[in-house]
Amino acid sequence: MNEELDSQLSAMFDDELASAECELLARRLSRDAELKARWGRYAVIAATIRAERGVRLNARVARRVSVLVGSEPTLAAHSLPRRSARRWWRPVAGAAVAAGVAAISILWLRAQAPPGGAETAAPLAAVIPSRVASPSETARPASAPAGADRYVVPPPARAAMSVVPATELANYVVAHSMFSPPVARGNLLSSFMTSESGGTVAVSAESAQDPPRDAQSNPR
Amino acid sequence: MPRAIRASERLRALLLAWTVAAAVGTFAAAAEPEQSGTTASAAGEKTPAPPSPAQWLERMNQALMTRSYDGTFSHWHGGTVEMLRIIHRLQDGQVAERLVSLDGSGREFIRTGSSLACYLPDRRTVLVEQRPGQESLVGIPAVNAQTASFYDIREIARMRLNRRATHVIAVSPRDEFRYGYRLWIDDSTAMPLKTQLCDTDGRIIEQLVFASLTMAARIPDSAFQPEVSTEGFRWLRNDTAVPAPGPTTVWSALKLPPGFRMMLHGAQTLPGSNAPVDHLVFSDGLASVSVFVELRPTGGAAAGTEVQSARVGSSSAFSTTSNGYKITAVGEVPPATVQLIASEVRAEETATPAATRR
Repeated sequence: MNEELDSQLSAMFDDELASAECELLARRLSRDAELKARWGRYAVIAATIRAERGVRLNARVARRVSVLVGSEPTLAAHSLPRRSARRWWRPVAGAAVAAGVAAISILWLRAQAPPGGAETAAPLAAVIPSRVASPSETARPASAPAGADRYVVPPPARAAMSVVPATELANYVVAHSMFSPPVARGNLLSSFMTSESGGTVAVSAESAQDPPRDAQSNPR
Repeated sequence: MPRAIRASERLRALLLAWTVAAAVGTFAAAAEPEQSGTTASAAGEKTPAPPSPAQWLERMNQALMTRSYDGTFSHWHGGTVEMLRIIHRLQDGQVAERLVSLDGSGREFIRTGSSLACYLPDRRTVLVEQRPGQESLVGIPAVNAQTASFYDIREIARMRLNRRATHVIAVSPRDEFRYGYRLWIDDSTAMPLKTQLCDTDGRIIEQLVFASLTMAARIPDSAFQPEVSTEGFRWLRNDTAVPAPGPTTVWSALKLPPGFRMMLHGAQTLPGSNAPVDHLVFSDGLASVSVFVELRPTGGAAAGTEVQSARVGSSSAFSTTSNGYKITAVGEVPPATVQLIASEVRAEETATPAATRR
């Protein structure tokens, strides 16, 4: 890990990195596990720095951090970089309340990663719990409902190519989950909750002149 | 160069950040799963401590089913990470549960007592299934003596994870019909703080890691209300008025993967349809497969055999038709297992013509 990267990372956190550089770094982050881990740590410190901006951290974390901060003047000194710095910070900070600090890096990384494509703003907007006042920067679409504790998920860009009717598969998965051992159930339902949004449902169909059991060479 | 100066300041901050991060332990959730799993296999010694590895699994199952908790976790599969939140409550014998996708799809699964609701914003659909009576906590497969002969279950390490002392339990399948697990089970609550699903070769295919978890004493009813707006959604319910018919046709599997046996056989209706569906559950104690048998609507494609397979994350589904029935197997097992089971399910009366057809 070299100093230039460190400096880029910290510039990124102060929103002083050119957007092209940001994108490069984000791309690199998505590949480099070590860099990502470091990013996570930056996220922690940045979140703690901004704790005084109205983001409430887990009390225990906050206590520990304040002890550390008290003994470290350098940190306190540049704890308030102003300027346009919170363009993307606000939603992240909001999310911290709900998901805990650790989640931030994942959320942000996902929002920035190139394959995510068009819906960069949506995941962040969706994750902010309605109880927390939504910062104006999250740019809700005008059609967002007035009802304060509802969120709207934008429709998928294109319909998933599914041969098994989706609701039928959903019904099966849900019905099955009632009889699934607890640990497997966690995997099953989590997969189900995330599957189609991530495009990980793969469906294939064959016209199947050969019943599959012939392939099993089933002696009977 | 102003940035260089700041960088050196930052270095101090960074140093502190490391300390903070280490103290807080939150970064564990942000890390991708280790590719090699060396940390887990390094410790290696079998512990003769009172609870055996299999007992840890049982404790974990009990904790997941009977404790009340509220947690946020990351779900990693196929190179994608998404955050989810789980809220689970057992109160006066009633299970309430809510699982929310915090990212893209915004899907929510809410179970309150015998009612299951699935909010699918990406499909503008809500599925509501009313299940008959009290069946909570019964019919769930449990780790049994037989399970041990199809999995190698051992404690491979004790590890600190997210500031908690955990037992790392490795569950390795002895054949290719099931997946394995690596579980970081919390010493005091028996909750799985981290779960890795592995294939037969030990490669990680799915990972769940709690970023935060609260064992809540009280969880209000309001926690089990959906947050997603359902305006303009289509609601599909199952027809509870239709009495589930007695088993007119007895379905069974002619052949099963080793260790799997039928746990349950019932009939139900599913949301959006009033036709009864036969539901069979097969399990080896750790993995389970459901088979659904529906009468195919006559006409159309009923004549030919139609085979479909689908993946839901690491879980598999396989559908085929036999004698005018559509048979679908779903389970958190490799694709070959659902395919084998679905292909072997037959109506006992009609087994003879089906068998002579080839």
